[in-house]
Amino acid sequence: MQLALFWLFSILMLAFALGVILLRNPVSSAMSLVMSFISLAAVFVTLDAYFIAVVQVLVYAGAVMVLFLFIIMLLDLRAEKRRRVRLSAWLGGGIVVGGFLSALSQIVVSLPALHVPKPDVSQPLANDVALVGFALFRNFNLPFQIIGVLLLVATVGVVLLSRKELK
Amino acid sequence: MIPPFALEICVVSLGIFLLMAESFSFKTSKVTLAHGAIFGLLCVFVLSFWTDLPADGLQGSGFYVVDSLAMFFKRFALLATILTLILAIDYLPIVQRLVPGERPEAGTGEFFILPVFTCAGLMWMASAADFIMIFCALELVTISLYIQVAYMRRSLASLEAGTKFLILGALSTGFFVYGITWIFGMTGETGLNAIQKSLSVIPVANHTALLFGLGLVLVAIGFKIAAAPFQFWVPDVYQGAPTPITAFLAVASKAAGFVVLIRVLQPFFTVPAFQEKLTLALVFLAALTLLFGNLSAIPQTNFKRLLGYSSIAHAGYLLIGLAAIGDSFAGKAVVFYLGGYLVMTFLSFLVLVPVTKAAGGDDLAHFNGLAKRSPMLAFAMLVAATSLAGVPFTIGFFGKFFIFEAALNQGLYLLAVLGVIAVASGFYYYFKVIRAMYWQPAGDEAGPVPVSPLSRMAIFACVAAILVLGVFPRFLTDLLP
Repeated sequence: MQLALFWLFSILMLAFALGVILLRNPVSSAMSLVMSFISLAAVFVTLDAYFIAVVQVLVYAGAVMVLFLFIIMLLDLRAEKRRRVRLSAWLGGGIVVGGFLSALSQIVVSLPALHVPKPDVSQPLANDVALVGFALFRNFNLPFQIIGVLLLVATVGVVLLSRKELK
Repeated sequence: MIPPFALEICVVSLGIFLLMAESFSFKTSKVTLAHGAIFGLLCVFVLSFWTDLPADGLQGSGFYVVDSLAMFFKRFALLATILTLILAIDYLPIVQRLVPGERPEAGTGEFFILPVFTCAGLMWMASAADFIMIFCALELVTISLYIQVAYMRRSLASLEAGTKFLILGALSTGFFVYGITWIFGMTGETGLNAIQKSLSVIPVANHTALLFGLGLVLVAIGFKIAAAPFQFWVPDVYQGAPTPITAFLAVASKAAGFVVLIRVLQPFFTVPAFQEKLTLALVFLAALTLLFGNLSAIPQTNFKRLLGYSSIAHAGYLLIGLAAIGDSFAGKAVVFYLGGYLVMTFLSFLVLVPVTKAAGGDDLAHFNGLAKRSPMLAFAMLVAATSLAGVPFTIGFFGKFFIFEAALNQGLYLLAVLGVIAVASGFYYYFKVIRAMYWQPAGDEAGPVPVSPLSRMAIFACVAAILVLGVFPRFLTDLLP
């Protein structure tokens, strides 16, 4: 059951991700991105990573995507719809993506891990959030502090770059 | 004796203190803030000589490494930030004009404070021994640089540079994270030490996947150090960014990229199966970067753009050194080259800023007749250009000499030949500046070029360093890790 859901949501996620690039209307492509994020959260649930799933919905599908939509609605969308993609751009992108995909598929097929029966990884964890917090503040404290400085700098930058008249 | 990680804490506290001072004391002029930042960073620089290095080098549960390489690059980052701030003080009138504000000095305080935070990020990068740590520090550096590049909001060029830098930076971050996940997936570790241990036990069938991940990481770092074919953002960003930030990008961000590259490649170079392929990839990158940087620098007429292409070319020489890393001296040669690169690049920017202010632009034509208008600046630029080109009796000569020597010792003859050809074309475009200064007549309205005492001091220090180390390179090589 869990495995079937995993594949179902994975396929959904990829389909919506394709929609993000293929749809010409920016609002519909942003909405497919939301759906892709939600499907990703569902994939995390099938892997028993409940905390990451919740954070995925709260942060990405909620906060980040709402901001995205706001910005898209403030922009002029008609220019984007009219834009045509040139043949050379198709060719260049196709070569990069094709090369990348062929390398990726070769590697995935060559991996011995694929031919080995997988161990049962899903052990329902008693207290997911507490464990994540523990890891974050104990083992990963130093990177965590650096992210704090990073957020401070980003906040200062947003104020600097977005205020109409600086005081 | 102070613990090494106190240095970064000092730098971050200095930054927060300056932010507070900027917000709550309305009377202080912004230049005072810059002087405070320079003084504080100098104090940290002096303190860095009193840190005690632990015997095993690893600290903070494997995230943080303190060896002589890390200490060298921490001092490198501090010096680069101090020089950037000196440049920024001189550049202030132009920033004031191009930042929208109620009063002329409004919104310019952060121009001096953000480099301090970038400096902290650079110092963490120098010590990072874990992919998670590398990623966090790298993002701190790049995100603060996005803001600084786009700082002059009324200048379209600055905004364009900021946007291009942001989009390509995000792309390279994507490559970096994806590469890390592959390496993590194959080894189960993010710490570089732990990866080295597990490299010897993983089955050969997994090697392709590991190389794939490492390749993606290499692409991402290629963006940061501006190696071809990932260099296409450089000219526009370097030209559009505020000049002090261009210097910061060209020196500090590139050097940090090289430290990360050295650290990431180290575990993989211990395994012979990887070493061969990595050397091949580095040789390829180095050759392409050298050719591209030098050939496209030749027709440039804008000095900042010229320096952008020249910084790509220098990344090429440094990559030769990395490709020859099997040689015992190659590591030292790369670090020596970076040290020299810091001095000579900042010297040319220290001359460029007063000239831009006096002549109203940063094209090569604005240097016309500089020898008459300011013999001191013209001489400083002469030293910088000859050193960048690699004329003997300058530090640039020994930098290139050591790198070619290491390449020849490793049997990379083709690369060394290519390097010598690149040096020859370098002579041509660096000497265009010298020709403009000494042989072209000045324009009608060109007067003398004023230089502030602080940057005069910095110019003297840089000229002295280039000439002294150009004759006695031993002073620096003895200090190197």
